[in-house]
Amino acid sequence: MKIGSVVFAGLILAVGLVYEIMALNMPRGRLSYPGPGLFPIIIGVFLIATALGCLLQEILPLKRRGEGPSASAPPSQDSAAPEVRNVQKTFQVMALMVGYVLALKPIGFLISICAFLAVAIHIFGYHRWVFGVAMAAVIAGISYASFVLWLKVPMPMGILEAVLE
Amino acid sequence: MDLFGGLIHGFSVALTPTNLLFGFLGAVIGTIIGILPGLGPLGTMALLLSLTYGFDPTAGMILFAGIYFGAMYGGSTTSILLNIPGEAASVITVIEGYQMARRGRAGAALAVAAIGSFVAGTISLIGLSFLAPTLATAALKFGPSEYLAVALVGLVIMSRLTGGNLLKSMMMIALGLALGTVGMETVAGYMRYTFDQPLLAQGIDFLPVAMGLFGISEVLVTAEEPAGNVQLQKVRFWELWPTLVEWKRSFVPIIRGSFIGFFVGLIPGPSPVISTMVSYSVERKLDKHGEFGKGAIEGVAGPEAANNAAVGGAYVPLMALGIPFTPAMAVVMAVLLIHGINPGPLLMSEKPDLFWGVIASMYIGNLMLVIFNLPLVGFFARIIRTPLYLLMPIVLLLCLVGVYSVNNSILDIWLMTGFGLLGYLLRRLKYDLAPLVLALVLGPMMERSFREAMMISRGDLSVFMTRPISGMILLAGVLVLLVPILIAWVRRLISRKS
Repeated sequence: MKIGSVVFAGLILAVGLVYEIMALNMPRGRLSYPGPGLFPIIIGVFLIATALGCLLQEILPLKRRGEGPSASAPPSQDSAAPEVRNVQKTFQVMALMVGYVLALKPIGFLISICAFLAVAIHIFGYHRWVFGVAMAAVIAGISYASFVLWLKVPMPMGILEAVLE
Repeated sequence: MDLFGGLIHGFSVALTPTNLLFGFLGAVIGTIIGILPGLGPLGTMALLLSLTYGFDPTAGMILFAGIYFGAMYGGSTTSILLNIPGEAASVITVIEGYQMARRGRAGAALAVAAIGSFVAGTISLIGLSFLAPTLATAALKFGPSEYLAVALVGLVIMSRLTGGNLLKSMMMIALGLALGTVGMETVAGYMRYTFDQPLLAQGIDFLPVAMGLFGISEVLVTAEEPAGNVQLQKVRFWELWPTLVEWKRSFVPIIRGSFIGFFVGLIPGPSPVISTMVSYSVERKLDKHGEFGKGAIEGVAGPEAANNAAVGGAYVPLMALGIPFTPAMAVVMAVLLIHGINPGPLLMSEKPDLFWGVIASMYIGNLMLVIFNLPLVGFFARIIRTPLYLLMPIVLLLCLVGVYSVNNSILDIWLMTGFGLLGYLLRRLKYDLAPLVLALVLGPMMERSFREAMMISRGDLSVFMTRPISGMILLAGVLVLLVPILIAWVRRLISRKS
């Protein structure tokens, strides 16, 4: 994950630079009456300095070994680990969450959470679809009763709004 | 209200049916998540945070105290019976506890862990009862310089103690502070980093950040772990009682662990984890039986006492100063902030029901937890068989509904998802999440203190050093930061010369 660390530190450095430029455009005030920009300017410098430090910390050992960040470095324990772990599941869960958020308003809570749970149960290792969907429907029903009916959380109901009201 | 008057009032609050129920629920949830590997007390508190919006703040605080203490108790069960630490603070217990179980002394190890936890919890609560009001009274003299100094030094000590890379921790602090500046600035109403999004005007809420970084990222990390078969060892009730020799050998380590835990708990950082390490190394050094590594009961008694005592210690700075020194305490603080209560030295006088009620409920919760972790240990240990394919989707469901329920905002779900991914990446890249979260919580207070101090001193930066309390605190911070670097440098110099 050495390359990942370099990229991440570089990304934070870029964020720090943008943050600092925006802070410099805010009213700074005086030291005796600080404006809204003074504290962010200090934090921006701190962010850039630490991100630069992290970046150098990651790059210098690679250069000393005669490798660039883009060179094919031997896999470290970190970089090998995700292959052993099921990294695919992480992306599937993230995609599922994004799908749920996009579907929540138009389709509504009940259907989208039921579909979410059915797919999540499958991703987490239960592969019998019929029982998986049944379990998802039961959990979705319980969550609807407890959150929407009991705790009065105004979840969007989407296409089922007229029916449920 | 004096100490004893306060405690009596606290018990009258804690013993109401509602608060007793929340204490009970907290203890049950805490024990369960302590037993289940992959879901820690922090993640659980983060995902339940939104639900406390609908409760009375005292009930919410009692629930979370039960969860935190319960997780410390529950974590030892799977460490001893299965060689699987339920949460980070029980990792050390695995070493001696599982060896004891293999020698047929699982019952004794469980009993010593539970009773040691109870004794330590009680000692730390006595410490909390005495120290929090005293510190709160002293803190009334604190001005903005002192608050800034405490927060700054707290972050520095945390970055030193988390054990990771110092630069990475510092970068996380900077990132957290930067995130804390998003939103409408409070003095002039200036919009900072909102990108014309009105929903960002109130700043980045702590709730989606905490739920994403701790709840979602924990699920994502757990999703990657290969599922394993769990073989439970049976422990019968009559096997739980340790022998007289085991009691004698455990007594002093429990007391020692209690004090170590309480004082480590006062320091910023992951105190329950650090306290177990300190206690284990102390017990190992003092070992007279040569049993360490083969099932020494001192190696269970000391660390298990220490992690419970650390929880009580960690509450002191939050209850007295309103400054959380651990991410878990930041989540507890959020319970108060959700209800518009600012914790601090005035909490004791302005909200005595809450202040004393929470402390008293901890005593009651500790008693409940001994019952859960001794006669009911077999029942709770079976929970580890809950399949991940059911548990993880339910956790995700709670996160998704919970985060939406507070502001009815889709943006909060997006933020939680984004911070979940960030948390996952940070964990994989060996960054510590705690400094980021604490800096996000402390950032707005630090900025306010900085600006007030500057206005009071008319722009004199030396005010932070010339005021005795803030000067002393900052000096301590500089020493904590520089002394280890200097020691390492001198050692390198000596080794080069030799």
